[in-house]
Amino acid sequence: MVVDEVREVSSGPQTSLLALAPLRHKMPSRYLFHFAQAHDDFRLPELASVAELHGISYSLPQEPENRDPKRPYMAIDLEREDHARTLARRCVLIKAVYEFYGQGSTYKELHEANRKSKLLWTRYVEDTSFRFLVTAYQHKIPQSRQRDVIESFSYMGFLGKIEMKNPEITLTVFEEYEDRHGMTRVKYEGDGNFRQLFFGRLLEEGSARPLIGKFDVKKRSYYGNTSMEAEVSLLMANQTLASPGKFIYDPFMGTGSMAYPAAYLGALVFGSDIDGRQMRGKQKTPGVIRAATQYGVASRIIDLATFDITHNPWRCGELFDAIVTDPPYGVRAGAKRLGRKKELSEEKKALTLQHSLEARADDQPYIPPTKPYELSHLATDLVLFARYLLKPNGRLVFFLPTVTDEYEEIDIHAMLCEGMEVIANSLQDFGSWGRRLVTIRKTTREQYAPPTFPPRLPQDLDEDVHVPAHKDFREKYFQGFKPKAEESKELS
Amino acid sequence: MMDVEEERLCLFGIADCSLLPPTIMVRLITHNLLACHAKDCNANNFPLQFKDVKLEFREADFNPDFLKGFMPKIEWKALVDTARELGDTSLPLEQPEMLDDDFLKNLHHVLLEIHVEEGSMTCPNCNHVYPISNGIPNMLLAEHEIG
Repeated sequence: MVVDEVREVSSGPQTSLLALAPLRHKMPSRYLFHFAQAHDDFRLPELASVAELHGISYSLPQEPENRDPKRPYMAIDLEREDHARTLARRCVLIKAVYEFYGQGSTYKELHEANRKSKLLWTRYVEDTSFRFLVTAYQHKIPQSRQRDVIESFSYMGFLGKIEMKNPEITLTVFEEYEDRHGMTRVKYEGDGNFRQLFFGRLLEEGSARPLIGKFDVKKRSYYGNTSMEAEVSLLMANQTLASPGKFIYDPFMGTGSMAYPAAYLGALVFGSDIDGRQMRGKQKTPGVIRAATQYGVASRIIDLATFDITHNPWRCGELFDAIVTDPPYGVRAGAKRLGRKKELSEEKKALTLQHSLEARADDQPYIPPTKPYELSHLATDLVLFARYLLKPNGRLVFFLPTVTDEYEEIDIHAMLCEGMEVIANSLQDFGSWGRRLVTIRKTTREQYAPPTFPPRLPQDLDEDVHVPAHKDFREKYFQGFKPKAEESKELS
Repeated sequence: MMDVEEERLCLFGIADCSLLPPTIMVRLITHNLLACHAKDCNANNFPLQFKDVKLEFREADFNPDFLKGFMPKIEWKALVDTARELGDTSLPLEQPEMLDDDFLKNLHHVLLEIHVEEGSMTCPNCNHVYPISNGIPNMLLAEHEIG
């Protein structure tokens, strides 16, 4: 293909070095990624997951400042153009992907780079209708200067028709300004003081982003007060590598927020919860099934079941490709497990046993007692549970709330067990607290016995074991995350 | 309790299950994966016995790769016996070595398209009854059954 040959001799000094590498048959091409202005800590993990799912290899820019995920634009090398398109179709956080023509800190630098990319755009010179846009991140460029910028590209000599609607190609200049959140400034202030310029040809608008509207919780026929917002549930689904033929499990199913996007992406989903009411709702058809029907994925919700993960009926392990869940961490709904807060006396035990064995005249099901499930214990147990139930290479994807001032990286690592490895840890920051989307991969092929989850007693606490900042998260939340020193002062 | 849609359908005299969203029901894939887990019930606790069941058939996506990948996890005898009990004799007594399309289609039907509505599942060993209501099996244990 002619196009490919053109690519291989193009795009600057970096690739000419690669051309000497003997094993490279195909030169990578460079693409400009424009990220959505949300969840910056989730951008690269999502990219990595979607790339892994589709067998796409990519390389990020060499210089650390150019691969800072907080910045909205990034030039990424890929082997094929359709890989760029695939990423744009599946990554929720990609706004659009462009064929990269150049970047620079001044227009002089940008034009130099663009001239070197001539072989990429020269085929559009003769007879291609086009549109030329100049846009900025964190800034508005005055119209007069937009015109000046467009004119400065006149050396490209495009002869095709200028068409604002439905052009064959769209060329865009991006001016990236520093974040100036919360600073008041007059209109156009600082115009031209951009950090970096980028230029490229639009390849594909991100088509996964509109799914955020499709899965909008408010438009869902069944949801609860702890339902996960659509965008984050889609990001979670991408972390699971959901696709047709995958089997995915949510052990804290609740109202099923994580199940719908995963099923939409083709996976079969199983849900369980200690409290069936959340999954069921108040009508005959369970709420989860009504919502799944709305999205056309009811047949992919394999089944729902009521049970406690600490006393679970799974016959064997290594069943699932992924476990995705948002464990209840206690702000609006606390986690529960079977058992009692306080042991009963022998006499009372006998009475309750008799009661639970007797047939009930009112046809009401027996409801066993439950006790609170402390978050750090739940997290450790969840990792063990997942190691048993995941296939080798399977992923556990879940949210863990953390106290911002106290969080340490070891908090996440303290919950791991052998054969489970953290591959992504993205913070959604709410100020004094936040929650981390943790992705853990099962790296072992070893088969484990079903784990047991004996209740922990206060006297079992080991002094040497690291106490993570998410321990007793519920209590800390309601105390407003006061540091320990302050707490003791207040007491005295 | 009826929702608005159901009520509307009743008003027009066409309240028919097939017009409403499907009720979830226990599929045989799930039945093949759940065992009794009451305290000290460790042997002969699988498969759970269906009682008073009503069947329903619903189409599901046919995915041969999923089925092939799932085959090693199946307790074959339990699946075949349960399917036969429920009136489906399409599966051979032995797991075949050659996985042709006809076989995979039958397996697909048995695992994913036969649903058990209301009813219950009973442990063959300790006789614990796990009720199924609105298609959701209640696998919770009573206080005296947890370790």
